[in-house]
Amino acid sequence: MRPQVEYLYRLAWRFTGSVADAEDLVQDLLLKLYPRTAELYEIEQLRPWLARVLYRQFVDSVRQQARSPITVIADDRSDGENALDAFPAAKDGPEDRAERSAWRERILAALQQLNPEQRAVVAMHDIEGYSLEELETILATPLGTLKSRLHRARQRLRALLPMEPFSAAERVKA
Amino acid sequence: MKMECRDFEEQLDDWLDGQLDAARQASIREHLELCQGCRRRREHAFVVQSALRVLAPPALRAGFANQALSRATGRSGAVAYRRAAISAALAATLVLGVAVSAFFATRPAPVQTVALALDRPETVSLVFTVAKPLEGAMLNLALPENVELVGYGGRRELSWSTDLHEGGNLLRLPLIARGTSKDELVARVSHGASSKTFRLRIEVQGASRLGT
Repeated sequence: MRPQVEYLYRLAWRFTGSVADAEDLVQDLLLKLYPRTAELYEIEQLRPWLARVLYRQFVDSVRQQARSPITVIADDRSDGENALDAFPAAKDGPEDRAERSAWRERILAALQQLNPEQRAVVAMHDIEGYSLEELETILATPLGTLKSRLHRARQRLRALLPMEPFSAAERVKA
Repeated sequence: MKMECRDFEEQLDDWLDGQLDAARQASIREHLELCQGCRRRREHAFVVQSALRVLAPPALRAGFANQALSRATGRSGAVAYRRAAISAALAATLVLGVAVSAFFATRPAPVQTVALALDRPETVSLVFTVAKPLEGAMLNLALPENVELVGYGGRRELSWSTDLHEGGNLLRLPLIARGTSKDELVARVSHGASSKTFRLRIEVQGASRLGT
């Protein structure tokens, strides 16, 4: 299992958005799998199998922690004409690094606004690169459901990430 | 048939995933040549997708693999680890349980204290407990100096409209302390003409003690 720990941590972090929660998730998974070590040697495609078990563990843990979460609606202050004028550009001054850091934090915060199933499909498809057909098996979810889940997740991310914090500064610079 | 903006939006994800046939791709290209709004939508989608792809996790903590495997194989205290993790989570969690009768009371909620480590994101959870559903409740958040909501930079005030379900409603606030602060975090929930205000005193570990 040792060669898989970093992969599991990376995936767990993408699911949870938190180092502590990711470590917890991986630890729980290892505790669960250790009695089944012999069985793991028989599995041909170990990573997809592990991803599936990790996903189930993640969804279960979220449901246990938060039975009635509020769906927080982000304050979208962007205007349609200017929201796209100011995507972070590839510059490298201190201000630009701070902007990129803020942008990363906004992405992480936006991912946290997705429900666990949406976050998982974004993490595994858009970030880890699994195809939807592969995820159909890994997540044991019909392709149509995955597509609509991904579509809603992406729409929500775009709504949450209008990049308006950068627009004012960019307009001033321009 | 000529493509409309709605068609473009519906097909955008399939296009991003390379799932469209040649004819539909041609329709999209034709539409994009004529529609500035959809060109922006496409660029926006590209930027968000690109940002997701390069989102790297913090490096795996040195020793974590050994530690986790040892615990899994029973060579060290797995149970102790879980307990420690739960305690740490609780330390950063402030639970405000407010019954609906108290929700509208004029008596202010007691000020509670939560500890944050300097420059380290911590999730503070607020639980609003209501006896009946409240649709369209407004949540206003005023952050004290030097405390940020992760992802919102220097914004001091934020507002959301949300529906409160019957029972407990969990709001997770990823906060990060950038220095000392003299003020309190104020969360105000309002519904119609009624409102309830919660105040949190924030102590920053690694900076001077806050609050009075």
